[in-house]
Amino acid sequence: MGKILTRMGDGSRVEMTAAEIQQDLEAAAQDAAERANVPSLTDDEIKYLLDLYKCKDRVVGVEEGKECCLTYDNMTSKIKRAHIPISKIQQLLLFERGLGADTLELAHIDYSFKQCKHVVQYEKPNMEQAVLQTIAPIFYGSMPNLGLYSVPDGPVANPGDMLPLGKIEESKEAFEQMAEYAIKDMVYVGSELYEKAGADGINFDTTAAAGDAEFYAALKAAEILHDKYPDMGIEMGMSGEFILGLHSEIEYNGVRLAGLYPQDQVKLAEQAGVTIFGPAINIGTNESLPWNLARSIVFTKACSEAAEIPIHANLGMGVGGVPLTLTPPLDALSRASKAHVELCRLDGL
Amino acid sequence: MSEKIFKEAIEAILKGDTDKATDVAKRGLDEGLNPIELMDKGFIQGINQVGDLFETGRLFLPQLVYSAMAMEKATEIINAAIPEEKALVTGKVVVGTVEGDVHDIGKTIVVSLFKANGFEVLDIGRDVPVERFIDQAEKFGAHIIGSSTLLTTTMAMQKQLEQELKKAGLREKYKTIVGGAPVTQRWADRIGADAYAQDAGDGVKKVKLLLTA
Repeated sequence: MGKILTRMGDGSRVEMTAAEIQQDLEAAAQDAAERANVPSLTDDEIKYLLDLYKCKDRVVGVEEGKECCLTYDNMTSKIKRAHIPISKIQQLLLFERGLGADTLELAHIDYSFKQCKHVVQYEKPNMEQAVLQTIAPIFYGSMPNLGLYSVPDGPVANPGDMLPLGKIEESKEAFEQMAEYAIKDMVYVGSELYEKAGADGINFDTTAAAGDAEFYAALKAAEILHDKYPDMGIEMGMSGEFILGLHSEIEYNGVRLAGLYPQDQVKLAEQAGVTIFGPAINIGTNESLPWNLARSIVFTKACSEAAEIPIHANLGMGVGGVPLTLTPPLDALSRASKAHVELCRLDGL
Repeated sequence: MSEKIFKEAIEAILKGDTDKATDVAKRGLDEGLNPIELMDKGFIQGINQVGDLFETGRLFLPQLVYSAMAMEKATEIINAAIPEEKALVTGKVVVGTVEGDVHDIGKTIVVSLFKANGFEVLDIGRDVPVERFIDQAEKFGAHIIGSSTLLTTTMAMQKQLEQELKKAGLREKYKTIVGGAPVTQRWADRIGADAYAQDAGDGVKKVKLLLTA
């Protein structure tokens, strides 16, 4: 067999032999398994992935009966971002009726809860109208984005300025203050959209991008919202394979958050009342797609097996074995989607 | 005896214990150990382990900062004991987040890990105009200019930095390294940067390569 055309993590085309692909698959699976202390891929799973890359079809899909939900984040900016003049509600209708989305998400273009707080009274009529015109469950989505609560964007001193000076305790206090501000904003926005505008749920997207304190804030906000509204849908999408320990000692329900991998993240999300969890495994742009995909599968599969709530893995620009390009190539996106759904038994993407 | 000292040096860095690192460095030199050997087999082994643990989520940023502080002190003591011509080549690096971008978590991690690896680092902060990168590099006597960006919209500033360095006739004076979530090797090649770092650990490796190139 000749060389197989695939890609690197930055989307560039590369030709590899079957043996080279197999080597990358095995090495990446082993690396991920050791990092997260979870099982590696079986020989059958490696063969499955190798066959996926040997297949010359431009686009692949899941077997009949293995279809899953399709959910999207930041839905109401995606079409507009392509410079197509379209309203938020039209975008939701397009996703639902034209693109087969199973859940919908109304979002503000400045996709952070802190910014959404200021426009929540404008977002509520949008949500009311959207709920009346669509059938699928609608989330209101945004990012916790803890960075916005520190200088120069917020009231708290910036831990990034203090850490290099060795002011460790001060930086921890700053992270804790930022978390408290973020919790208030997330609970406020979630309550307004759910209780007063009819949203079916809330999505905490790209959670923990600012580390363990941000994960804590999102968990705590989910817990408060779940206590207030037991039937509320709460989705939590993550931002990386493990929780960055920028505070390093912050805990939720007695568990230290720094360094947690997806199979442990999801257990805390369950305790907080989250109803859909989305692990996110970032791509290595210097490695091949087979390497990246095998790695993502190991982490996601362990998460899926540990979970008692639905898992909708993040697959898109630079996550889940999809290259870091503005528009994901279809060959790569369809292979990553098929492999994740079939090997990790996902409930959704 | 030397093996025991090397082990203690590794432990001091792993624990981020500046007092112990200072004591071990002084004791090792007093006992007649070769300073470069003490660095290579002791402290550098320790900081390499710190980097590996950080990369896999088993050691965290505050601990990394403590380890960097301990390493800085040990390097200072050992460098003072080495004849000037044999002093450890560490290199001076200016690091900042480009103009229009206030994301600095990744940059903070890079700065800590660079310091931990013995580089002299000038952190010029976030939202830094191109002119300031150049001005600060000139004043600091930098060997390398590192720029970070989280946003696709501010990546162009890395390209502008390359262009401005050329305009000022300074491009050959500095090595440049770029990083940040949307940045790739392809981007680095396209704008003419000398290196791309995927993460902080990769940045350390690339800076070492640039310094010896």
